[in-house]
Amino acid sequence: MPALTGQLVVFGFASFVAIAFALLMVVQKTPVRSVLSLVVTFFGLSVLAILLAAPFIAALQIFVYAGAILVLFLFVIMLLNLKEEAADKDDRPVQRTLGLLVALGLGGLLAGATLRAPVPPRGSPVGGPIPMPDEIPALGRLLFSNYLLAFEVLSLLLLVAAVGALLLSKRRFE
Amino acid sequence: MSPALVAALEGAAKIAFVWGVVLGAVLPNLIWVERRMAGLIQDRPGPNRVGPFGLFQAIADILKMFMKEDVVPMYADRLLHTVAPLILLVPSMATFAVIPFGSSIHLFDRDIPLVIADVNIGILYVFALTSIGIYGLVLAGWASNNKFALMGGLRSSAQVISYELAMGIAAISVFLAAGSLRLTKVVEYQASGTFLGFLPLWNCFPQALGCMIFVVSAFAETNRLPFDLPEAEAELVAGYHTEYSAFRFGMFFMAEYLNLIAASAMMATLYFGGWSLPGIHPSGIFGGLFSIAVFAVKTGFFIFLFVWVRWTLPRFRFDQLMNLGWKVFLPLSLLNLVVTGALVLWGVI
Repeated sequence: MPALTGQLVVFGFASFVAIAFALLMVVQKTPVRSVLSLVVTFFGLSVLAILLAAPFIAALQIFVYAGAILVLFLFVIMLLNLKEEAADKDDRPVQRTLGLLVALGLGGLLAGATLRAPVPPRGSPVGGPIPMPDEIPALGRLLFSNYLLAFEVLSLLLLVAAVGALLLSKRRFE
Repeated sequence: MSPALVAALEGAAKIAFVWGVVLGAVLPNLIWVERRMAGLIQDRPGPNRVGPFGLFQAIADILKMFMKEDVVPMYADRLLHTVAPLILLVPSMATFAVIPFGSSIHLFDRDIPLVIADVNIGILYVFALTSIGIYGLVLAGWASNNKFALMGGLRSSAQVISYELAMGIAAISVFLAAGSLRLTKVVEYQASGTFLGFLPLWNCFPQALGCMIFVVSAFAETNRLPFDLPEAEAELVAGYHTEYSAFRFGMFFMAEYLNLIAASAMMATLYFGGWSLPGIHPSGIFGGLFSIAVFAVKTGFFIFLFVWVRWTLPRFRFDQLMNLGWKVFLPLSLLNLVVTGALVLWGVI
């Protein structure tokens, strides 16, 4: 049993919030509230990233996911004026069973991997302030050297997706 | 006292100072300045009855807001209707945490840097918070169950995302030049030399284009005229806050002014040297106080600019706003990025 430090308390709270709101997102019937629950989940995740001494990831989590992508989700939901999810009719028993099986399998896989993973070394002394190195230049250097191909391929993928979305929406208007 | 306790006390004192000044001094006076300036520009006296020169008008306004009836529309989403103003207000208050408001002060044998949290993601933190603030507007519009409010919410989400792009790319050029995302480093960089030998190395000179884009986009981000389309009272009644009254409306009002103050402070920090003045290297307690004063004057100028523009320019149309954001500012901000990159590469700045 590790000692009860400030970091542990924050970790417990942030993970609880992240998991609870992730569940809420699935259970919630109103689409707008589902999106908002996901936003709160992202906040929990970003606090966890800060605890791992990775504030850059934390900021991106909020800036990109919560601040840009989910706002667009909200925009679309509001534009289509979706009020309530359609009533739950169980007319797809096969998909339902398959979905449950896949979810259980993935869950088991993740649980097994977590149990087997070696305990990572502590990033900071217990209770001390979380270190904030200027790691961003190093990150940039890595992206543009070792991972250049992956980086460029990903940006190309995003471009293709953007052009595709434009084409699809254009066709609908014409 | 243990070092952790000292650090905690120091942080608490700085938070108390910053929020005390912003909420206690700048905000009420800003309401007064806005209303008096409006009077001046429109050739009428403006509020001049409460206290000397009407100075206590803001207090009267705030008291009035607290005593009015708080109405929630019958078919509104009660929970979200209640939470929306808070979602807008909290990020606008948290922005001040990373803005360096002075150099440093030597007190009790310690050098106290005059910034609440000198985090390594400075600019990103500010952008992340601004992007959270949109939720407040969008949800207020949606939860009110009113078509005008919904239109206002939709407009705000489209507008803020569009201008955030240009603003972000303009800001990239700033930290390209400074070599760090830390706002303290950005200020130190601007205080460190000269541009072309005779100008201070403030980013507004080598990146004049980026500075202009950032300043204009800030108007769109804070929903101020000429870009206050989300609340355009001539077409949308009052936009996203149509269905808000009493202190909930007051929270929207407060958040707008806090965003305005934060945006002004960011302009001063990113483009106009922050707390620094060329040729002056403040030291000691008075140096620290002097640097705070310099920062206050620069921020004050931009707050004044916000008020001045609001009562001078008419409102844009929504399609004009979108065209300006996507077809003019986005390409220009990319051009600014390329030019800044070249200047850095050739060692000019």
